[in-house]
Amino acid sequence: MEKIKILYIDDEQNNLNGFKASFRFDYFVFVAATTSQARAFLEEHSDIRIILCDQRMPDQTGVRFFEEIREKHPNPIRMLITGYTDIEAVIDGINRGHIFRYIKKPWTDTDIKSAIEEGNKFYLTNSLLSVKNDELRSAYDELGKFAYSVSHDMRGPLLGVIAAIEIINKSENINEVKEIAGMMDVAVKQLDAFIINLHEYYSLKRGSLVYEPIDFKTIVGDLAALFKVAGSMENIHFTVNVSQTGDFYSDLISIKIILNNLLSNAFKYQRKGSDNKYVEINIDVTNTVATIFVKDNGIGIHEEYINNIFTMFYRATSEETGSGFGLYNVKDALNKLQGTIEVSSTINEGTIFKVTIPGKTHAAK
Amino acid sequence: MLPNNQHHFIVIDDSKLDCFIAEKIIKNTGKCASIKTFVQAKDALEFIATQEPLSPLPVIILVDIQMPVMNGFQFVEAFEQLPYAVISKYIIYVISSSINDEDMNKIHIYPTVKQFLNKPLTSNTLSTLLSKE
Repeated sequence: MEKIKILYIDDEQNNLNGFKASFRFDYFVFVAATTSQARAFLEEHSDIRIILCDQRMPDQTGVRFFEEIREKHPNPIRMLITGYTDIEAVIDGINRGHIFRYIKKPWTDTDIKSAIEEGNKFYLTNSLLSVKNDELRSAYDELGKFAYSVSHDMRGPLLGVIAAIEIINKSENINEVKEIAGMMDVAVKQLDAFIINLHEYYSLKRGSLVYEPIDFKTIVGDLAALFKVAGSMENIHFTVNVSQTGDFYSDLISIKIILNNLLSNAFKYQRKGSDNKYVEINIDVTNTVATIFVKDNGIGIHEEYINNIFTMFYRATSEETGSGFGLYNVKDALNKLQGTIEVSSTINEGTIFKVTIPGKTHAAK
Repeated sequence: MLPNNQHHFIVIDDSKLDCFIAEKIIKNTGKCASIKTFVQAKDALEFIATQEPLSPLPVIILVDIQMPVMNGFQFVEAFEQLPYAVISKYIIYVISSSINDEDMNKIHIYPTVKQFLNKPLTSNTLSTLLSKE
């Protein structure tokens, strides 16, 4: 484990030397003879966890120093070192809530050590709490966006179908009924796609990664079969090139989500009426990295919107019924796998996505 | 001359099904002089900016809020930039499946928006609002 960083401030050089000699094996020790020197250390090392300061410094008191640095450096645990005569200052410091502990002078190694251990525990609890707080805040924000979008994306198609049924009930015209049924079909499939994406979203957010050997050829083959069944490959030339040398360990669910979303987009956002539609996937896998290109000659993505395509619920086109979820999930999966994604696109010419995923060499990792 | 209880309609909704439903319901009121539907708000905006509307006026616009590329609010904002002579010939109703406080409050800041309507659009709500025109 890395040594924790401690800053000790005292104007007597002997004390500084003594402190450093006693603790340099256990901790990463910074010593400062003046408070301005101490400030410089704090600026440079934001990961200093514990500050011990003598109350009687020539330019200012320890209490005053702590008060001043607290706003800029709120995280380090502050401890005051003081003789009996300074008891008023100690009470003052503690009551104002900015000192974790005070240590009597002359100190013993045991005093300091136990104070540092306690302080470190407090520091860790606090930082954990603030990380959890941030997570909670972002989860809340997401929930807000969610509630709003779910009411639209899930209720929207349903309300459409409800209204359509009413029209069908009053209609005597079989052709009209068939036409409406076709539109209901689209609405219901859209809802289904949304729910599938929602499920993917949760398996990514809540699931932990499971590393296993990935055979890209099989995965892409399975996906291609699915697209064939769904009929989305009609008149679209699909080329698959997979070159895999060696074992590649990664999380299967994440890989499937990435490939499925990129491919289904490539099939979906084709130009209607174009007679040479194609989708191409090139995968090159070594045991350290998988590089994936998904290329189509479809409608392309407008320059203005390309930076937003990975944003949740963002849809860059009204051509097709996207859930606004797919690429967000792709990006999220890649973040978990520490992979990258790049996109280049030209309107009416097509889009290329490039994905890289680092492989784990052993399943245990 | 059309009877004076007739109206021209423009429907803007990215869902083809919802456009179709609106068209059906509007036609069934018997007060529809004409109807145009758009799945992209941008196309509707261009149509409004370039086509002189036929009488009787005003033309009624029904616009969905959540749409990709240009949503309902962005449409209204762009619409309000058009010359007054154009704006004054239309009345906008905003329709949506989601009832969100923020959206509800937003509606009041647009002078050209008359009212918020819930989806699904029904012949009852439509008849009520037409009887007020």
